[in-house]
Amino acid sequence: MLAENDLRSRMQKLVAEILEIDAGTVSATSRLREDLGMDSLGSLELLSSISEELNIHLDIDDAMGIVTFADACSFVEDAMHRQSGGDARA
Amino acid sequence: MRALVIGGSGFVGLRVVDALLARGDTVRVTRRKSTPTVLFGRRPLEMAWASLEDRASLVEAMRGCDAALLAGAYYPRYSTDLAGSVAIATRGMRNACDAAHECGVRLVYSSSVAALGPARDGAAADEDDCAPPDPREGVYPTVKKSMERELDDARARGLDAVSLLLGGCIGPRDYRLGTNGLLAALLGGVLPFRIDGWINVLSVDDAAAAHVAALGARGERYCVGGHNVRIDALLSQAAERYGVPYDLPTVDLDEARVRASEAEVEAEARRARVAFPRELVDLVAMGKPVRSERAERDLALRWSDLDAALDATRDWMARVGPAKRAAAADEGRRHHAG
Repeated sequence: MLAENDLRSRMQKLVAEILEIDAGTVSATSRLREDLGMDSLGSLELLSSISEELNIHLDIDDAMGIVTFADACSFVEDAMHRQSGGDARA
Repeated sequence: MRALVIGGSGFVGLRVVDALLARGDTVRVTRRKSTPTVLFGRRPLEMAWASLEDRASLVEAMRGCDAALLAGAYYPRYSTDLAGSVAIATRGMRNACDAAHECGVRLVYSSSVAALGPARDGAAADEDDCAPPDPREGVYPTVKKSMERELDDARARGLDAVSLLLGGCIGPRDYRLGTNGLLAALLGGVLPFRIDGWINVLSVDDAAAAHVAALGARGERYCVGGHNVRIDALLSQAAERYGVPYDLPTVDLDEARVRASEAEVEAEARRARVAFPRELVDLVAMGKPVRSERAERDLALRWSDLDAALDATRDWMARVGPAKRAAAADEGRRHHAG
């Protein structure tokens, strides 16, 4: 399984690719929509890319509450954890 | 049957995929790098890399299929570039038509009531009222009419095609907000104005049923308009039903066009969606009752209850949807008002 830091780094690069921005401008507290300008299509593309790379299932309805980049990373980490047989985080 | 769905991750396309899977068909979907494959979930699908910009990729995707359904034709998200939008739309349409013709498969195309001109009898329009593009009507109607004309040209070259002239589709899980955006804006209290005119609305599930039925239909074109309603009455009733305010200034259509266009120019820079997009103003401006009797007869369509479809959409938006923030804002306002 991808380590937490590796996942965040990979997602940072994906966000930067999708938005065509410098990855260095994406921080944990960056709000995807308000700060980075990522629309719903971009969010779906981000989650699609990462779910394919990691071969995990993401419930998109649950993803609609994501606001910050850190939220997105935590959402994916939780899904990885659950699907690798671990307990879901609280 | 093995069916290819082009645009299967879209709001209508995914319902078409589900309707095909439900009857036991094998479903292949096209995808590009930017396709939100996460929306496919665990559905048992074949995937084919293909783009409307690339005819050869479409031919490859259609190979081995018995039919192709074009649910993801070009959709101008902003009504700001008429010539560019028409060029992209017609090029993609031509590629899809040529590929289907080459592969010898039927093409079912998700068109729009926007392809209709005025009703011949002055009352309700039907399939025989398709009209040539008129740029004065705006980007969206011009694009849709241009695509319908492209399809007619392909039919003349021998393509077996059925076009479905859909009304505005409503239902849950519209992550990109088409017609549903109006309800989201109403619930969120961000509608900027009210206008009046005819619109045609149906449940997205009815639209999906039409696509499946069209695979075996004899006709070439069907109006799938659903319910003919006045937009102001629809939104008034929805506001009352969901307990949200709808106390807005009524503007005429010319002013609505100007305000919607200005909002889109500003929103496009931020890749945002405006509460009342220009395409919906244009649809209302050219709106008319649509007669869907041919589809009701040949495709055995029955329209789902509109209130039930609105309730399902509203419940989804309040629970998880893109209007979650809007719904939260609504809760906050009501709490504040109370």
